[in-house]
Amino acid sequence: MLARVVRIAVVVVILGLVVTLALAFRRDPHDIRTGTVNKPAPAFTLGRLDGSGQASLADYSGKVVVVNFFASWCLPCIQENPALVRVYERYRSSDVVMLGINFQESRENGLAYVQRMGISWTSVADDDGRVALSYGVFGPPETFFIGPDGIIAGRHIGPIDEETLVTAIEKLRGQAATR
Amino acid sequence: MNRRVLIAIAVLALAGALAFAARPHETTADERVDQITTELRCPVCQGLSVKDSTSETARQMRDLVAQRVREAKTNAEIEAEFRAAYGDWIFLSPPLASWTGLVWLVPVAALAAGLALVTGRLRSGGVPQPSAPTTTEVAALRERVAREEAAEG
Repeated sequence: MLARVVRIAVVVVILGLVVTLALAFRRDPHDIRTGTVNKPAPAFTLGRLDGSGQASLADYSGKVVVVNFFASWCLPCIQENPALVRVYERYRSSDVVMLGINFQESRENGLAYVQRMGISWTSVADDDGRVALSYGVFGPPETFFIGPDGIIAGRHIGPIDEETLVTAIEKLRGQAATR
Repeated sequence: MNRRVLIAIAVLALAGALAFAARPHETTADERVDQITTELRCPVCQGLSVKDSTSETARQMRDLVAQRVREAKTNAEIEAEFRAAYGDWIFLSPPLASWTGLVWLVPVAALAAGLALVTGRLRSGGVPQPSAPTTTEVAALRERVAREEAAEG
């Protein structure tokens, strides 16, 4: 009787490990669901890189906000930029807002990068890194998708492509439409 | 006599000095920053604490911890702020209460299951002995042997 129970327990443990491994391998390593995801987006007010005042997350309340952490010294940021530009052009007249947060560099370098790369959405400077820390950023590029309800719905670590951006944005717009 | 008094005074002085050195003292702000940043993992390093890392991110984290200490936040409040952003991963020693406890539990459970299995086998008499043949089986075997002997002539 005991041996039978033990045999069943061993099978259950092995099945559990197999299921855990299967789930782990299915996960997108760029989609990290720890920390701030599914929680209210930390509020911030930061100075614009072009010196034209400040921008707050609260200014975009009720909209889908794509927050992108970038830096000029970050090669994957340069790699993902064309996708960001295309997606910005696609949604610029809609309820979708893109916001760039410059990560660990001088405002001069950040501004030069923004101008060189044709970035026309609002870009702000996180001078002391507090906003990046409050979002749990590891390093640029990182992109957060914030819903109209102010909740962080998703996060992408590393260079992002157009399809991933559009899919995440459309999902949030769909949720907003059904509310 | 004088010698004994001197020894007693020396022992008392030593005990007093030890007690003074070991007295509980108020932790300074810098000590608290060190304590907290020793436990925090540097997000851009390989297994380094925020205290030991020279990276810009670690420096910003140390500055934030120092500011929170100046604001009279408790260690638990400061750690909770980092946990909210990075999850339990941000601690070099994640709390055992979370699901990571399974990492410790599963090998122990597997060992216990193995021991129980072996003990069960030993108690039941090890390798099972074959049971005695039935009369039908004995009769069939005799018949087969007789048939083979007849065939060999």
